[in-house]
Amino acid sequence: MTSIKGFFRGKAAIQPIWLFVIAIFIFFSFMSEYFLSLGNITNILVQTSTIGLIALGMTYVMINGNIDLSVGAILGLAASLAVGLQDHGLTIAIIAALASGMLLGALNGLVVWKTGVNAFIVTLGAMLGIRGLIFLYTGEQSFYSMNFAFADFGASTIGPIPVLAIIFLLCTLVMHLVLTRTGHGRNTFAVGGNPEASIDAGIRLGRHMMINFIIVGFFAALAGVLLASQMGAATPNLGRDYELWTITAVVLGGTKLTGGYGSITGTLGGVLAIGILRNGMNLMQVPAFYVLVVLGVILISVLIIDKKLNVPSTKEVRI
Amino acid sequence: MAINNTLKMSVLAASVFVASTTVAYAENSYRIGITQNNVGVDSYQTTYERAFVEAAEAAGNIDIVVLDAGGDVARQIGQMQDLVQQQVDAIIIWPTNGQAVIPAIRQANNAGIPVVVTNSKIADAGMDFIAAFSGPDNVEQGSSSAEMMCDALGGEGQIVQISGQPGYTTAIERAAGFEERLAELCPGVELMETQPGNWNRERAQRVMEDFLTKYDRIDGVYSGDDNMGVGALNAAKDAGRAGDIVFIGATNFAVGYDAIARGEYYGSIYQSPVDDAHAALQTALDVLAGEDVPKLNFFETPKITAENLEEFDRPVF
Amino acid sequence: MASAEQTKQPVLKGRVSRAGILGFLSAQGILVFFLLSMFVFSLFSEQFLSQSNIMTVVRQASIIGIIAVGVTVVIIGGNLDLSVGSMLSFATVLVVDLHDKIGPMNAILVMFALTLLLGAVNGFLVGLMRLNSLIVTLAMLSVIQGLVLIYSGGQNVDIANQGGTWFAFFGRGYVLGIAVPVLLFGLLAILVQCLMSYTGYGRRIFAVGGNPMAAVYSGIRKNWCVFSTYLISAFCVACAALVLGSRVMGSQNNVGQGYELLVLAGIILGGTSLLGGAGSIWKTVIGVLILGFIQNGLLLMGYPYYTQWIVTWVIIILAVWLDLANKRKRLLTTHS
Repeated sequence: MTSIKGFFRGKAAIQPIWLFVIAIFIFFSFMSEYFLSLGNITNILVQTSTIGLIALGMTYVMINGNIDLSVGAILGLAASLAVGLQDHGLTIAIIAALASGMLLGALNGLVVWKTGVNAFIVTLGAMLGIRGLIFLYTGEQSFYSMNFAFADFGASTIGPIPVLAIIFLLCTLVMHLVLTRTGHGRNTFAVGGNPEASIDAGIRLGRHMMINFIIVGFFAALAGVLLASQMGAATPNLGRDYELWTITAVVLGGTKLTGGYGSITGTLGGVLAIGILRNGMNLMQVPAFYVLVVLGVILISVLIIDKKLNVPSTKEVRI
Repeated sequence: MAINNTLKMSVLAASVFVASTTVAYAENSYRIGITQNNVGVDSYQTTYERAFVEAAEAAGNIDIVVLDAGGDVARQIGQMQDLVQQQVDAIIIWPTNGQAVIPAIRQANNAGIPVVVTNSKIADAGMDFIAAFSGPDNVEQGSSSAEMMCDALGGEGQIVQISGQPGYTTAIERAAGFEERLAELCPGVELMETQPGNWNRERAQRVMEDFLTKYDRIDGVYSGDDNMGVGALNAAKDAGRAGDIVFIGATNFAVGYDAIARGEYYGSIYQSPVDDAHAALQTALDVLAGEDVPKLNFFETPKITAENLEEFDRPVF
Repeated sequence: MASAEQTKQPVLKGRVSRAGILGFLSAQGILVFFLLSMFVFSLFSEQFLSQSNIMTVVRQASIIGIIAVGVTVVIIGGNLDLSVGSMLSFATVLVVDLHDKIGPMNAILVMFALTLLLGAVNGFLVGLMRLNSLIVTLAMLSVIQGLVLIYSGGQNVDIANQGGTWFAFFGRGYVLGIAVPVLLFGLLAILVQCLMSYTGYGRRIFAVGGNPMAAVYSGIRKNWCVFSTYLISAFCVACAALVLGSRVMGSQNNVGQGYELLVLAGIILGGTSLLGGAGSIWKTVIGVLILGFIQNGLLLMGYPYYTQWIVTWVIIILAVWLDLANKRKRLLTTHS
């Protein structure tokens, strides 16, 4: 046991969540004849890409020590805009959708920066309010795209790999490189680790946090556009509860809610863990009621294991 | 089940029974996947699922994959993809949204898997990609409710409406059918306001409480289902105004049935989730057997009021 | 940085009393806003200030209010509870379902016992295991919703004989002309407010939420304090379930869905900081009532129901911002 602990504590190449992903992957391969196939694995990638894309941005925001609860609503608004504005041309609709996400992200960031109100509160309010904007814009109706090219894009593949999965993996790579290899990435950790010190070190804290809110807003909107392209439609309730699953995935991936610690590779593992669990339980025909219990119990178990493996941190700060 | 033998639905149920026993002797064995809207959100869907599973088991040669989308469109699309991936023989879908599921249905259709839509219709653009629809005619149900409202009020009055989940096809169709027929049949009845009750009794109770404060005179309430209708009735009883108001619903729930029996509730639409489930399974089997199945298969959903109450069994949900 | 700035305030600081109207305005901003919004709504709708409307709003707000009282204690102790919505579904389904099976009295007892048990699980994981409360209660939200569905098999539950049970008292009864839900809400609020303000227990919760390390050094058994806040929260949820179950005389499995957010919105609006160590039940009551009246006022003015969400968005941020601005004596933060 101690050797395993040492393995985790050291600068090990593999993160705990990836061990878990590999474990459930092997488990479901044995439990269901349909699980282990290229088609199913690309399905999992496409299904996780929605939460996955948001989680990329959320990781940055959470390493900053902030949180964004409004991503589900931003996704819903972007999806509605991307479909609803197609009369003006597909390009314009998509640009407007992505811009709306970045704009709302900027608004969240600006409010957090200028007012000093806790990000949890700012984005909780935004989560309610943006959902209201969606209902206002759509008049409570679903929008349907007459343009089948839009829906075909959502279903298109390059070779055997769906385009959506490729987009997700590419974004993951880019976000990983930005976080680990650039000044912005280093600042993200610095700000989350010790905000006061980061100001002293000359980081423009407010601006920096705002950029990360714009990033998460962009990814939420992108996820919304891609989801809408999968459906060729948008519904006003789209994205409800997604913020909770996104945060869950990021935390599973080892990012600390207190800020200063986390990684994109871990987040990818967290997203895949949830996706594989859902898909595998579907294939094994676990009744939907039990899936809720299993997902919750696994989340708590991972927290407990994480706590046992890590040295108790001296900082006892909670939200 | 209805005692009245002339009712088509009992005939249909009987035909399902006969069919399922005959199919049992057929040599083919089928694997059918179903993705449902949101089991557990109300008893109708739960009873539907139970009836579906039982009917499939009784048939003997059907292997079923039962999935639930939890009300989430995106998850339902994922489940459609999973079912296509598993290469089931047919897919039955209870759409979470009448428009957003169309591309997923199209994908299944392109993969050569027949899709049967159950309970709640999809938009016209998707009709080319489905093998058949089976379920109640919700527009017709709305019209029937309007007729009952008109009868009950004698063509004169002020009413309010509590609709189902915003954006959900069944809710939209019932409201549309009701409003259109009411305007046509009963111009003297004014629909003052519509608010959504989200298929939720407590929510409907709140909405009705607000209506009661806002309007001194309410002659009738139309609710998108009885679950909400009983919530509205609760609110009116609390305010001591239940006696002045005519309550009309749809999808007769047990609580609504009892309220009709007590004379507190005027009428509703009898819609059995068991019939609904059996009809869906039967439609899928007919499609698989290569029969010529019509695109729209409505099962009968008659009006139910105090007058014909004893013709119907108390709903189990 | 938001959290850094908020934590700089001294813990356990009472309200600073300042002379002058401006001082009062800024200290009691939320109350002023409350009265102002009541005034505006009354201009646009004549029914708004009618006795029956006010009673309706307060009665509707009381379920959220009762839960908010408990969650405020958890938040003062420095944690969050997002599981209250699912827990409300659980408790309501349980008490309604058992009502006909084992009688109202037993049903209530079993419901309280099992709901407190769920609270104890939360308390164990957050207080004793010291896991992050946001994630733990998020996970519990999912687990409890699953448990409700497994218990009921997804069926609605109903009380058969609605007229003849004394269980109707909690949701539909009146005492001295006041609706019982309102009475229960008021009673719980006063009780918990006294507990937090005038007892050693309350002071310990404030200390634990404000500065956990200092609390531990001063001999407070921090873990058990946190544990106990979740029991209080669960107890309040159980009380709310009594009201809800009795009011509706039936329950769906998702009846409490989304309540956790409304509860949080009310608490934040009232001015209780999410960082712990500060806040009051009295503020929460005001916050919950404001939400209730805004919702009702907008509906009476004829706006669609979703406008209330947009309005809530703006006023939540404004309320917290002005509170902060007042404390730091400037409107905007200084860092770039």
